[in-house]
Amino acid sequence: MELDCLGMRCPIPIIKLAQALKTSPEVVLLSNDPATLPDLIAWSRMTKNQYEILGRDRYLVKRL
Amino acid sequence: MGSITSRFQSEAPLHPAARAFLADAFDRGWADPSKIHGESRQASILLNEAKETFASHLGIRRDQVEFLSDPALGFHLGTSGLLHGSSQFFYSAVDRSEVFAIADLHSGEKIPVALDGSIQYPEGGSTDLLAWQTINGETGIISAAPTKFPGRLFVDATASGAQIPLPENWSTALWNSRTWEGPAGLGIFAVADEGIWRNPLPHVDQKISSSELSIPLVMASAIALEAHMRDYADKRDALSTLNAQIRNFLHSEIGDVDIAGNASTTVPHLLSYSLLYIDAERLVNELDRRGICVDSGSACNATNMEPSHVLAAMGLLTHGNVRMTLHNQTTPESVEIFLQELKTLVEDFRN
Repeated sequence: MELDCLGMRCPIPIIKLAQALKTSPEVVLLSNDPATLPDLIAWSRMTKNQYEILGRDRYLVKRL
Repeated sequence: MGSITSRFQSEAPLHPAARAFLADAFDRGWADPSKIHGESRQASILLNEAKETFASHLGIRRDQVEFLSDPALGFHLGTSGLLHGSSQFFYSAVDRSEVFAIADLHSGEKIPVALDGSIQYPEGGSTDLLAWQTINGETGIISAAPTKFPGRLFVDATASGAQIPLPENWSTALWNSRTWEGPAGLGIFAVADEGIWRNPLPHVDQKISSSELSIPLVMASAIALEAHMRDYADKRDALSTLNAQIRNFLHSEIGDVDIAGNASTTVPHLLSYSLLYIDAERLVNELDRRGICVDSGSACNATNMEPSHVLAAMGLLTHGNVRMTLHNQTTPESVEIFLQELKTLVEDFRN
């Protein structure tokens, strides 16, 4: 599924992402908040999930 | 809004000993010490006494003590004054923004920082410059001294005050009076070897900076430094216990928390942690309504809406960040009240 968080400020994109992952094992996250990339790195480490950068403001997040 | 019950923000009021001394300092130290009148001579003597105090606590010679009425100017003096021609400037990703600004002018090389705050220093040559932070003011992580670096070393001691000794290979060093509960607007700058340092500022005589200096504030800062170091020696163990108690509580009672460093890698009076899924601005405001003051490095609390470059560089969570300073006056009761309020608020926010 695709989760559009463009224009939303931290921590909303990460909160919405965690909610979305409860129902979907893979989420494409769209976010242009400057805190999103550093927070994805830390969040993946803390929650043992995986992310990859697909392009500008576009991330693929997988539940492990 | 309730009255303040607990202060955990980085800035602290002037130390009571310095405050009690201020009126007297203004009575005795108002004259221009460079003139030859009796009152000027007295001001000059007082200034020298203050220099003696700073020198003995900071581990430098009295003649190396330079006062700056703008502490941030010391970043420029301490780094640009050591860069010549082919020098390479190394600095770390968790250095202060002032250092970043100077590095931009000199094509500086930014050294990455690991999750635990450790830094792999470059080998460097004898004319290269390394900016080294004694401790990081946001996370409290103590940085290993780059004692093997063969080049010039700028020591940023603006977060550690007199608590971390200078390494033997220091070239320039900077302190901030606020660190030891002294008055704001006073920096202390030192140059180890006048031979390799050149004043990067336009200057008319041997004085490093021509800005005017308040001798009463210098005297008050010296009093504050002595009192602060005495208090800290007495309170250090108690602060370590409180720090450990907060860390344990965060892990066991709150959870989903990213804490910077651990008890053995940080100073006991500083603590930074990020709470997953928490809006730091809301949290800081709710705590403030309950009379509890904390700082935050999260984007929503920054004027430029960018997350803390320190947290981002280390790979720590940048949202939901809380920064706490445990002051000599911090009590176990105020920490206990804070922790219970924090737990209630975080549970409420997460649901």
